[in-house]
Amino acid sequence: MSTPQPVVLGELPSLSRLYVNAAATAARRRVLGANPGGTRLPAVSHEVHNVRADVENLTAYQHLVGETASDTLPAGYVHALAFPVSMSVMNRDDFPLPLLGMIHLRNHVEQRTPIHFSEALDIRSWAGNMTGHRAGTQLDITAEVRSNASGELLWLGVSTYLAKGVFLPGIDKAGSASGASAPADFSAPDPTALWQLGLEIGRSYATVSGDFNPIHLSVLSAKALGLRGSIAHGMYLASRALADVGAAKSEAFTWDVGFEAPVFLPARVALDIATVQSESGTWERSEYVAWNPRSGRRHFLGAVSALS
Amino acid sequence: MAAADVTTGGNPDRATTPEAVRRAYIVGGNRIPFARTGGAYVKSSNQDMLTAALEGLIARFGLQDERIGEVAAGAVLKHSRDFNLTREAVLGSALSPETPAYDLQQACATGLETVLGLSNKIKLGQIESAIAGGVDSASDAPIAVSEGLREILLDLNRAKTPVQKLKIIGRIRPKDLAPDAPNTGEPRTGLSMGEHQALTTAQWKISRDAQDELAFNSHRNLAAAYERGFFDDLITPYRGLSRDSNLRADTTLEKLASLKPVFGRNLGSEATMTAGNSTPLTDGASTVLLATEEWADEHKLPKLATVLDGEAAAVDFVHGKDGLLMAPVFAVPRLLARHGLTFEDIDFFEIHEAFAGTVLSTLAAWEDEEFGRDRLGLDGALGKVDRAKLNVNGSSLAAGHPFAATGGRIVASLAKMLHEKGTVDGRPARGLISVCAAGGQGVVAILEAA
Repeated sequence: MSTPQPVVLGELPSLSRLYVNAAATAARRRVLGANPGGTRLPAVSHEVHNVRADVENLTAYQHLVGETASDTLPAGYVHALAFPVSMSVMNRDDFPLPLLGMIHLRNHVEQRTPIHFSEALDIRSWAGNMTGHRAGTQLDITAEVRSNASGELLWLGVSTYLAKGVFLPGIDKAGSASGASAPADFSAPDPTALWQLGLEIGRSYATVSGDFNPIHLSVLSAKALGLRGSIAHGMYLASRALADVGAAKSEAFTWDVGFEAPVFLPARVALDIATVQSESGTWERSEYVAWNPRSGRRHFLGAVSALS
Repeated sequence: MAAADVTTGGNPDRATTPEAVRRAYIVGGNRIPFARTGGAYVKSSNQDMLTAALEGLIARFGLQDERIGEVAAGAVLKHSRDFNLTREAVLGSALSPETPAYDLQQACATGLETVLGLSNKIKLGQIESAIAGGVDSASDAPIAVSEGLREILLDLNRAKTPVQKLKIIGRIRPKDLAPDAPNTGEPRTGLSMGEHQALTTAQWKISRDAQDELAFNSHRNLAAAYERGFFDDLITPYRGLSRDSNLRADTTLEKLASLKPVFGRNLGSEATMTAGNSTPLTDGASTVLLATEEWADEHKLPKLATVLDGEAAAVDFVHGKDGLLMAPVFAVPRLLARHGLTFEDIDFFEIHEAFAGTVLSTLAAWEDEEFGRDRLGLDGALGKVDRAKLNVNGSSLAAGHPFAATGGRIVASLAKMLHEKGTVDGRPARGLISVCAAGGQGVVAILEAA
């Protein structure tokens, strides 16, 4: 990939403003009937320097996803911290895909080093790997978080999104068959946990993460975007699974999740977490899978693995 | 040992057969700095803070994935959902999830009692290692619904038909909606702990100056201990705090003297207890690692001190026979007698500063001939505590007092002091701990340098 041109933003963009702007852009594009963004991803990266976690917000996040309120930033919290920067990339006028209605297919995180909450962080995000998907067009949004003091890469996240039903000229639609394997393949194991998720969990996670995407906030706002009800944030579900893996994991780890059927709220979610240990008994990996206990449909699956 | 026959509840011969039991060693401790309520830990729960203190202990002594014999801790202000507080903290830590844990609660003596209970298990050969601890949050205190609303909600839960439910809901009155917050009042007297101590302070004629001087020394000693790095291996920073936030290194006797009295203002005598010579509400957590000699050696860990013995006492405070916080006055002579010791044999006195008046009333009772004869069953006064040996690295007036966390703070600090002192006149250095508690209780203990 060519080196993206850096655009340094003065501060973390406001997510609510970005969503309003995205809605306006969507409306404009619907009226104009054209895609002024073209068919290429903008060759830029957005950066915000010297970002620090807010302790009160951190504690609220930790309590919501089931983490102990320690001084180390949960990997999902870093994602939430970097998310406005990623959103600002997807919200550019020259970004070729509609931001609203994009589906989060997969998420990959590398937590290289534990991050203390007081550390000043530099966040950089850019878009890449736009390819065809049988249902539309997918792309990767990468975010990296470095120590402002040393420049060391502490955290790296790659989020894969799908713009459903959007087929751009020149992008091979027969592309990857990645994403979900057929739900028929899945036969639910005995669960190790059962989550009861209330209707309010979308708003609660929006409050701590800043992600006020209307599909998570209420039945009405979700219906306005074509869903039959509000759905849980994928990163809330994945962050809870990460919290469930808990202190067993190593300091440096990778955290992967693939999202399948959305979790409509309120919901009961069955979960199985299995630990894989080395012969000497040290933790190597925890694998998790979550499903709807009534229908047996798989919601998401993934793993937390030691990063050497 | 004549005095022992009068004052011990148990068998005085116990002290002569220590070979029958193993020794319990204090390996070290870890706490988070104590924060004034509403401060740095305002949103942190008891479980968060206990886990933070535990994680620091695990990191300091390399206990990752270790299956500890047993962990015991507790909190005084406790949410009902925290019925398994200690076990939950263990599960949230890097200890082996196969480490058992239990909760204990004995008001402000909780922390010291976890140390004594676990030490006894080690001495009896039941476990090889243990972690004792305590935590309290006055910021994140539980608030219950009023007793009226609670009864209505329980009835509502039992109601079967909508008509029944409506009838029950109709019983709710505005006064039922007022929440029921915890307070430091004694259930049987309605007096707060401070008001109780004000009675005792007046009874023992403790002056305002003496109380302010004790508070001043607490701040000065704690500040000096921080300055020389004494707490470097006893504390892990948390939420941006690396020192106890109540510590006022620059306080002066003049400043303390300028504070208005807050307790005992309705007594006939002069009110002497201020916010400066009383402990503030505080948030914090502490932990102590205990082990047998073999376990410590196998893990290449230090042995700072042994837990020699402990004693609990209680007083009949309800109708004023003794002051609410005076139980240690009775526990200490019993414990000393069991081991044939006097104050001359003690090198450090750690008397928990619930209020400056508590410490000074305790010392006054021990120095009183008549009290010694009539109440302690001794030939005269128990003895005079050398002030140069009292709370030499500060205590609760300066550090703050997150109720259940104070015992662990004192045990870990004293163990380190004893280890540094080593031997005195060819015998191991000895320290006495005294902690008073609500309900007219007290727990005391003796540690010896290892």
